[in-house]
Amino acid sequence: MQTNANDVADIKKGEIFANGFWHNNAIFAQLLGMCPLLGVTTSAENGFWMGAATLLVLIASNLVVSLVRGAIPASVRIPAYITIIAAFVSIVEMSMNAWMHDMYLILGLFIPLIVVNCAILGRAEAFASKNTPINSLVDALAMGSGFTFALVLLGGVRELLGQGEIFGFDVFGADYPDVLMFILPPGAFIALGFILAGVNIINRHMQARKDQQAATLAQAAAPQTAEVQS
Amino acid sequence: MKIEREQWQMIIALLVVGVVCTLLLATTNIFTRAPIAQAERQALMNALMQVLPEHQNDPLTDARSITLQGDTKPTSFYFSRNKRNAITAIAWQVTAPDGYNGSIHILMAVHPDGSINAIRITGHKETPGLGDGITKNQAWLDSFGDKSLHNADWAVKKDGGDFDQFTGATITPRAVVKAVKKGLTNYAIIKGKLFRLAQRNRSEASHAN
Repeated sequence: MQTNANDVADIKKGEIFANGFWHNNAIFAQLLGMCPLLGVTTSAENGFWMGAATLLVLIASNLVVSLVRGAIPASVRIPAYITIIAAFVSIVEMSMNAWMHDMYLILGLFIPLIVVNCAILGRAEAFASKNTPINSLVDALAMGSGFTFALVLLGGVRELLGQGEIFGFDVFGADYPDVLMFILPPGAFIALGFILAGVNIINRHMQARKDQQAATLAQAAAPQTAEVQS
Repeated sequence: MKIEREQWQMIIALLVVGVVCTLLLATTNIFTRAPIAQAERQALMNALMQVLPEHQNDPLTDARSITLQGDTKPTSFYFSRNKRNAITAIAWQVTAPDGYNGSIHILMAVHPDGSINAIRITGHKETPGLGDGITKNQAWLDSFGDKSLHNADWAVKKDGGDFDQFTGATITPRAVVKAVKKGLTNYAIIKGKLFRLAQRNRSEASHAN
């Protein structure tokens, strides 16, 4: 993660993004929002649109919560945030019903359930209520796209293993037998387990590289202390 | 006094949030109401196109509602007509209340003589990979074609009837077969009334022309 060192504000936004998309990913790191994760990730496309709906709600709620953060007394902030989130979820739901009717029918009940996705209230409470609108927007973009990425990844794995397709395109040929386990909820748990293991491996590699860099830097500065770090 | 002021702040904050959100939702409702109705019409039209034979009329408007015995809500019957304005098929929605996982909604179309033209599943929550064969197994859906109360045993093969069940899923096809049979029975009862109403549609249409 190389960022321009001259622009301090840029580094911060890059950090917010990296945090939201990867290090603090709602699914991979925090294991939040499991309900839509298990329910709708039977295909990559369903996962994508569920993620997109969540992303839209997150952007709107983070922005508004950040804008009103000084005006709402701390004791009533949770009901106020939930009202704001519920309003945006309803707007997204009505819009999908109007302009994406087929997908609306598929995602069905999971759209209104975005209201209780704790990842969204969590961002309103933990980030947007304490940060500027711009930073909250970046955070929402990162969190939402990280969430979408996770849903598409899991949906893709389940679609591929369950039906031999990706985004509806045949990969394994028409003779591929539907593997029921991956289509049903247990498949979501199992696939998620393997994906989390993969994420942990990537994180460990990243950490090791970071340690190595730190070690070489420290070695350059003071050769004595480097041994302790490596 | 200080506590009172804080309470006012809370009340006003929640009130403002509530009112603004309500206004926002009301506005969205105004803008989406027509497109939603249009999308639902389109979805119904697409489904009707799949079950009705080729037609020269608009089945969406060439329709009549009848409240079937034992029902609380009226059912809409959609007619398809050929060039000579004769009814070629009638389509309507039936519900199988006893699916494996909730109700199964079926759109069925029958010829005037009471034999089936086609059926389609329009809504269900059956198990993916097992019960949802009712939407994916075209051969099974096609097996309903030209079946009537007189030329078929309306049960799955396991129960001694004419219709296949699926491996690992008997309840779902059984529920569909039962619901379609009930639809045919109802059709036999209301056929006379339905055709009188359809005749009225035809004369209204010719008046309009």
